[in-house]
Amino acid sequence: MKTLFYNIGYFRKEAAKTIWLNPLSNLFSLLGTGLILFLLGMVMMGWSIGDHIIDSLQKEAEISAYFEKGISKEQAEALVEDIKQIEGVREATLIGETEARDRMKEILGEEAHILELFDENPFEAFIEVRIDLELMNSVLKDVKEQKGIEYVRDNREVLEQIRDITEGIKLFGYLVILAVGITTVIIIAHMIRQGIYNNKDHINTLRLLGAPNSFIGFPYLLSGLFLTLLGGILAAVLVTLLLEGGYQQFGGSIPFIPLPTKEALLGNAVSFLIIISALLGLLGSLFGLSSIKPHDTK
Amino acid sequence: MNSLAKERRAMGVSMIEANGVFLRYKDGTEALKNVTLTIKQGELVYITGPSGSGKTSFLKLLMGMEQPTGGTLKVFDQPMTGKEREIRKLRRKIGPVFQEFKLIEGRTVLENVMIGIRFLGISPKKMKEAATNALHKVGLSHKISSKVENLSWGEAQRVAIARAVVRKPALILADEPTGNLDYENAVHILKLLTSFTDSNVTVIITTHATHLIENEKNATFLRVNAGEFTIERSRNGGYDEDIIL
Repeated sequence: MKTLFYNIGYFRKEAAKTIWLNPLSNLFSLLGTGLILFLLGMVMMGWSIGDHIIDSLQKEAEISAYFEKGISKEQAEALVEDIKQIEGVREATLIGETEARDRMKEILGEEAHILELFDENPFEAFIEVRIDLELMNSVLKDVKEQKGIEYVRDNREVLEQIRDITEGIKLFGYLVILAVGITTVIIIAHMIRQGIYNNKDHINTLRLLGAPNSFIGFPYLLSGLFLTLLGGILAAVLVTLLLEGGYQQFGGSIPFIPLPTKEALLGNAVSFLIIISALLGLLGSLFGLSSIKPHDTK
Repeated sequence: MNSLAKERRAMGVSMIEANGVFLRYKDGTEALKNVTLTIKQGELVYITGPSGSGKTSFLKLLMGMEQPTGGTLKVFDQPMTGKEREIRKLRRKIGPVFQEFKLIEGRTVLENVMIGIRFLGISPKKMKEAATNALHKVGLSHKISSKVENLSWGEAQRVAIARAVVRKPALILADEPTGNLDYENAVHILKLLTSFTDSNVTVIITTHATHLIENEKNATFLRVNAGEFTIERSRNGGYDEDIIL
């Protein structure tokens, strides 16, 4: 530890020299790492946006429970209270015939005049039940079994599709993280090996003088960490530009998609990229160093 | 020589013990044959012999760069067949002067000398002081900031010597340290290296320049021929049975 502390300046200089010894190759490694991390950043943003949309839709997931004819308003309200007690029910509200008609008017917009053709209100009163998507099956069963409920209209297909999409996006995200992680580690490990090979005489001399492996390897570890971090910063800049442009271009024109705030998305993406690049840099450098055998530098 | 050094030498603490050592390279070259000798702490030993006789091979064994293919060799009482980690620890007690210098290009003279002590837990200020002093001793104070690739061979050799002595080693192994120096500098460097025996440091020097060492009284002279060691002359001119068995 004392040696590390006393030689901070030396390690910094040696790391810089290692990078400058092969500037073009290291520049390409930096750009490659930056672009891969940029891809990861985009997937992460897609993941975040998808998660946010799914979360919003999940909160909005609802079923409509229609009760038997002849039920009084008091009985219907008692039924609402019973439904509220079911596990997985977030909220239950009684919707009268008039409100049901008004809602349809709103949905139909300019076409709402079609409703004028009916002499009487064709809509029935029902109970609107917001549910926890995870418990959809049990909630449907329990609501159907309530005394006084005639039938339940569910959006099972839509809701199941939403759930599948959520799972799919998550699985894709994990796969991309795995692929990007492995690729970055390989690039950095290769760069470290190249740096060590370029400095083999230097390393051999240090070995002959009795320097421990930790002392010999530290500048290479620093250079790998520095280049990957720089790649992470490059990716963060690109992600920021993309996000700024994207929100300006599409932010207002797709109001039906509940996007997360730009600041939240950006904050998460940037900090994620910096942390992941540092971790991958460290991992790649250690992997590169550990793969070097003494005869490689003789 | 100070009294402590004389006392220790008299006590006969072994620094190097070789017993029937053989070294055969992978290509079949037999570099050393049945070397049996003991070198004590504080001893000054010159190894002479023609090119390719095995001088450098012997130093390589002492540095752990090669391992004996037969017999046993102990340096600092440690068998030289140990793990790389142990060999590295042992090397930290040795001040090596390599025939081809092994200086690090792109670095200054001062940086090259300091590299020898960077991993020994010395503070940067003390490292710089020690390196500056070592360079002063080899007469290179004025070249402290020069890049090593801009030095003459003689100057590069003196940097290698400064890097070896700056570590205050217990054993100095110098492979042809005067090979590229003019007479005046060669005498100066030999005087510097041999002066370390006063601090109980064992100094082993291989050389072709027998004219520079023939008047040395306090040294042991070993001759190598085709990998076989013989004693030419021991300390004070007599035959020392302790050295070659």
